[in-house]
Amino acid sequence: MNTMGIPPFIPELASEHALRFEYLFWYITITSGVVGLALYAALLYFCVVYRRGVNPGPTPRILGSLRLELAWTVIPAFVFLSYFAIGVYVFNKAAHPPEDSMEVFIIGKQWMWKAQYPGGQRVIIGGNPRNMTEAERNSIGKLVIPAGRPVKFTMISEDVIHSFGIPAFRQKMDVLPGRYTTMWQHPTKTGEYHLYCDQFCGTWHSLMVGKVKVVNGAEFDSWLMGHQPFQGSDNAVDGSLAHEGRQLFLKLQCINCHSATPTGKAPVLEGLWGTRVPLKGGGGEWADDQYIIESIRKPRGKVVDGWEGVMPAYDESQVTNEELNALVAYIRSLKKGQTPDNTQRFPAPNGAPTDRTQSPPPPKKGN
Amino acid sequence: MSIAAPQGAPAAAPVPPEPGPLPVNYLNNGHSIWSWLFTVDHKRIGILYLVSISIFFVAGGIAAGIVRLNLLQSDGAIVSEDAYNRAFTAHGVMMLFFFLIPAVPAVFGNFFIPMMIGTKDLAFPKLNLASWYVFMLGAALAIWSVLVGGIDTGWTLYPPYSTRASQSNVIPGVLGVFISGFSSIMTGLNIMVTIHKMRAPGMTWSRLPLFVWSLYATSLIQLLATPVVAITLVLLMVERAWGVGIFDPSLGGDPLLFQHMFWFYSHPAVYIMILPGMGVISEVLTCFSRKNIFGYHAVAWSSMGIAVVGFLLWAHHMFVAGISFYAALLFSLLSMLVAVPSAIKVFNWTATLYRGSISFQAPMLFSIGFVVLFIIGGLTGLYLATLGTDIHLHDTYFVVAHFHFVMVGGMVMGYFAGLHYWWPKMTGRMYSDFWSRFAACVIVVGFFFTFIPQFVIGYHGMPRRYPNYPQEFQFFNVMSTAGAGVLGVGYLMPAVYLTLSLINGKRATANPWSATGLEWVSQSPPPIFNFDESKMPVVVCGPYEYSLGVDQMGRTLPDAPTGAPAELHEGTAADGHGPTSPAKQES
Repeated sequence: MNTMGIPPFIPELASEHALRFEYLFWYITITSGVVGLALYAALLYFCVVYRRGVNPGPTPRILGSLRLELAWTVIPAFVFLSYFAIGVYVFNKAAHPPEDSMEVFIIGKQWMWKAQYPGGQRVIIGGNPRNMTEAERNSIGKLVIPAGRPVKFTMISEDVIHSFGIPAFRQKMDVLPGRYTTMWQHPTKTGEYHLYCDQFCGTWHSLMVGKVKVVNGAEFDSWLMGHQPFQGSDNAVDGSLAHEGRQLFLKLQCINCHSATPTGKAPVLEGLWGTRVPLKGGGGEWADDQYIIESIRKPRGKVVDGWEGVMPAYDESQVTNEELNALVAYIRSLKKGQTPDNTQRFPAPNGAPTDRTQSPPPPKKGN
Repeated sequence: MSIAAPQGAPAAAPVPPEPGPLPVNYLNNGHSIWSWLFTVDHKRIGILYLVSISIFFVAGGIAAGIVRLNLLQSDGAIVSEDAYNRAFTAHGVMMLFFFLIPAVPAVFGNFFIPMMIGTKDLAFPKLNLASWYVFMLGAALAIWSVLVGGIDTGWTLYPPYSTRASQSNVIPGVLGVFISGFSSIMTGLNIMVTIHKMRAPGMTWSRLPLFVWSLYATSLIQLLATPVVAITLVLLMVERAWGVGIFDPSLGGDPLLFQHMFWFYSHPAVYIMILPGMGVISEVLTCFSRKNIFGYHAVAWSSMGIAVVGFLLWAHHMFVAGISFYAALLFSLLSMLVAVPSAIKVFNWTATLYRGSISFQAPMLFSIGFVVLFIIGGLTGLYLATLGTDIHLHDTYFVVAHFHFVMVGGMVMGYFAGLHYWWPKMTGRMYSDFWSRFAACVIVVGFFFTFIPQFVIGYHGMPRRYPNYPQEFQFFNVMSTAGAGVLGVGYLMPAVYLTLSLINGKRATANPWSATGLEWVSQSPPPIFNFDESKMPVVVCGPYEYSLGVDQMGRTLPDAPTGAPAELHEGTAADGHGPTSPAKQES
């Protein structure tokens, strides 16, 4: 993709609608192509056979033919109506989401997309990379959706009209200020696909782009929990259980000892979940949810080999069971190199409004 | 069949060695600047329009060049995003409002409608002159808005972007378009009244040349649709200037209201652009194939059908804009209906060539180019009228390619066909036969290379108005830009050889193409009142009696040119009537 490439003959097909689109597209292409080529053949034939050098005249006085006129009025009309009818069939499917669709809210603004999932997870997609800091650029997310499940997008704009279009799904829909529009898709194929703004929306219109990442259902569920950062940034997706755990991890100052450096006061927690931990005094323990809970509630019970049991116990008055679940989810999601910097104690959540100066201020209002 | 062929044919009147000074005509009757600026002669006003729109065509072409060059690289090759947005807006506004809409009606309509129906002038000559001044005032405002920084909204001007967010000179540009709209209304009214009231004796409705029919249909749209866009633009300016909530939902307005009103004009407006081109094609194809038009009434009524149905399908520009499901169904169905009369025209044009005696001078090459490109332009419109495909192709390069096939492949080709067909009549000079044919071929080839790749990347989803695009689209964008270079050269060529023809072109006879229309009856260039006042034309038959070899006044046609360059220019007499008809000579 880095060299000047030629796209495949048929663009990627990643949803049920995309397949229906292709059938219709090629039905129109073949039928109208036959008519167009027949007309070209007739034009060429007439221009060669009846050129003046061969046929100097006189020409017959042909005024027309009612039969032919009727034929090339009625037959094309029926062909066009067949396009209309099949087009309505495809459009009808595309316009009415199934009852059991998962609803994702999409908010468009100059020049980014924000997606909100039913469980509170949030992703920012796109935005203008040229106006961003390195950190902001790295946190640009992807719209993660599951393959094999219907997803309904309910969309609104914060400023001007945008249009939410995904070519691999063969559909787009304008995103208006002041009212909701919807579109839905049933993705069939995992992968990453382009997401474009298709309605001109100002200076960085062409950078209001991003990626849609289609993952399989189980992966999607684990992403929703925050276990895997498919949205593209390092951290558990905003608003997930693991993301909440991360905030707690900083707030409770766990980070002070469980830092990213192995020389700290406590073991590094990156990549811990699912490994076998050697215990002081021999033996080992699988680092599963149960082990992590125990290590918080009764940290001196099973101390890791090579460390002293200095960690205080956190009982329910300090960490509720709910908070404990969040911490477990976070530690489960914590991969190599992802332990936060100690200075990142209270970072703004990913979904928080970013730099306002990107959008031009509205002109003076009447009152 | 021509001067070169039959040795035994009776000698024509001796060819004068050097043509003497031209008789008084509309061009040599006064040379001062005031004789042009205050003229009420429809022919001079047509020339004024020709010069003006040529300038705007060049201006719009330069903007297109910036757009295409910038797309050579996937992150913008030459200009910033802001400059790119201004360039494509300038291209759209210039080409649509100041070239395509006035091109054929205001130039050839002004010049030839009175001549084709056999009268001295349009019904309202002073209104005609006023229309040019109004047009120039609007154009001056639009150009000024570009020169002081440009507009970045796209020619579609969708609010609330255009009223709230855009930091560019929206108001002067919109005001310019608003003002020039009145010129369009004036021209339409003038042409319509002229066709109704001033036809020569014997020029019945079913003897009207098809160009007149198509301009009648065009005028109907100009008259009825333009006021709608005028008030829409006023509302847009009011909202932008004073924050009165009409379209901006944060002020209590509705952005879709603008789109409905805008397309209620701008969809019929594409028929303002294409119908006159179709009229030109009907004239040229018949003349250069020496045939009656196949299905006169079908072609004439299909123009009217397009004009009327064209009012009923504006919302097919809005299938993904948030209109209701059933509205989308209705407008898709109606859009299919308008494809039928367009198809009828193409079938009839093709059938006209059957058993003709076809020669390939530049007007004919441009016309065949029109038909070839319009077939693709028309058929690809079906994808966009079909709901299931439009929801993907909308707002992609597929749309861009489609409307350029219709507007440039169709209308601009039709405009050039008309320009080359009528140039001898308008100027009294013949242009280079070789270079004009060559230019026609270069333009068609360049056109294909420019716009076929855009269908491909549009199908692949590349959105419109994108200075930055993914790498995989670069190959086709480079190909498109290369094609645009060829196209640009093709468009420059007529500018050169047509200008040269004014200086050293051979004198044109009254009827160099041996055409049947009344505009070919009088000398080239025509006299001040079009016809010899003592013998105003009386029409005795329909417009395309090429097989009978008579013009609309029943007089025998001169020999048709074979197309060999030497034969084009040496007419035998000032009235251009050869001694024998092609039919007689053939025996």
